[in-house]
Amino acid sequence: MTTSKDHIIKSYDAELSRLTGEIVHMGELSVKQLEAAIDVVERRDERAAQRVVDNDDTIDRMEQEVSHDVVRLLALRAPMAGDLRNVFAALRIAADIERIGDYAANVAKRSIPLSMVAPVRPAAGLEHLARLAATGVRDVLAAYHDRDTERAYAVWKNDTVLDEAYTGYFRQLLTYMMEDPRNITPCTHLLFMAKNIERIGDHATNIAENVWFQATGEPLPAQRKKLDRTASADFSGLSTKSDPP
Amino acid sequence: MDDRASAIATPAADTAHRIKIRVHDLHFHYKEFHALKGISMDIPEKQVTAIIGPSGCGKSTLLRIFNRIYAIYPGMEAKGKILVDGEDILDTRYSMNRLRSKIGMVFQKPVPFPMTIFENVAYGIRHHEKLSKANMANRVEEALHSAALWSEVKDKLKQNALSLSGGQQQRLCIARAIALKPEVLLLDEPTSALDPIATGRIEQLVEELKSQFTIVMVTHNMQQAARCSDQTAFMYLGELIEFEQTEKIFTKPDKKQTEDYITGRFG
Repeated sequence: MTTSKDHIIKSYDAELSRLTGEIVHMGELSVKQLEAAIDVVERRDERAAQRVVDNDDTIDRMEQEVSHDVVRLLALRAPMAGDLRNVFAALRIAADIERIGDYAANVAKRSIPLSMVAPVRPAAGLEHLARLAATGVRDVLAAYHDRDTERAYAVWKNDTVLDEAYTGYFRQLLTYMMEDPRNITPCTHLLFMAKNIERIGDHATNIAENVWFQATGEPLPAQRKKLDRTASADFSGLSTKSDPP
Repeated sequence: MDDRASAIATPAADTAHRIKIRVHDLHFHYKEFHALKGISMDIPEKQVTAIIGPSGCGKSTLLRIFNRIYAIYPGMEAKGKILVDGEDILDTRYSMNRLRSKIGMVFQKPVPFPMTIFENVAYGIRHHEKLSKANMANRVEEALHSAALWSEVKDKLKQNALSLSGGQQQRLCIARAIALKPEVLLLDEPTSALDPIATGRIEQLVEELKSQFTIVMVTHNMQQAARCSDQTAFMYLGELIEFEQTEKIFTKPDKKQTEDYITGRFG
């Protein structure tokens, strides 16, 4: 239960809302990084890609600021109950956003070698995955800002859409690689990039779980099936005919 | 335990321990003022129970009813039941002497008697028991050991107790209370007049004493309740709002009033 009533000590409220503001700002930056990374993949712009990679430092620095503020709040305010959960959730959410930033930077980084080889058709499919991931992160940030558990739960549940899209994309890339070995290099990069984006979705669900915990004090109750099936046996038999029995 | 008592539905923070004190529908009046309004709670044995709440919520009143201190003032009346090991201590047939030897109390401000350190501890024992000189010396030493004071005072037992520091005086008061071998120890804001080091010593002592005594502690310091107690009761305006495991109270209380109070939103 999070209460909307102000603290008797006003500066405590100011510090808690500053923490929320930092998280939301950091999250918005990570989404912008993801969108910028996808943009440089499409434009095959190495310089812009490098800028995205460099910008990741800003997110890392913001995470350090959040950690500093959390330690300070714990030491000086000794938060209790809902406040304690807010502070604890902020620390965990900041770590998730920092990872989202890393994944976005990785996508941009791989776009550099990708732009050095001839364009391949499946590169366009990456944008769809990125759009799904960016929507998830934006929604979960709004849920965090508004302390909206229903919206957080919707993000958590919707990650299956991204997982399924990733599985489909994985299958598509494998097909291209089998068709023409010259596709292997660019498609391998795309595969890693897609995996990075799929992981961003997982971090959005982590954030959703923390929004839920922060508001209720309980772990998110439902169980969701993992739908990234690329590690399963379905994908081991691409050359089944030549496999030994 | 009394059959009727065991049939009473009472809020209990702890079900794993035997119930030492069962409070049932306790009302208390200071003349016209209704200070406690139907308090019911089960206090488990050999655990630390903290009572928190804003000034005037009735927490100290509740504690003082546990050893019937109110009885010395006119115009005060307690109704309901307080069963200690199944016997109602509010029943006038329950002798005050027996009650005071069973339930010891330590107050906010250390109040040593103006006599020697030894005599401070021996005084209460003499009131209840006749012991030989050697037995008395052993008993005093034992109480001072239990109160973690022996090593600091063993060479100056004949000195006036008022020469001790505030923290030592408070531990002397604890020694004086436990010298009577009570079963319940009531602590009414025992560290509010002490510095952080002395406070730490008392808190450590509480931790050590709970293996022998049932401890009920009133405190204004929520961090202290969180550090020292196994269960916490939150009171407001004479009512028991919530009584739960301390960890639950301070991480996920059920009642909004509790949450508002412990997070500093009570205005």
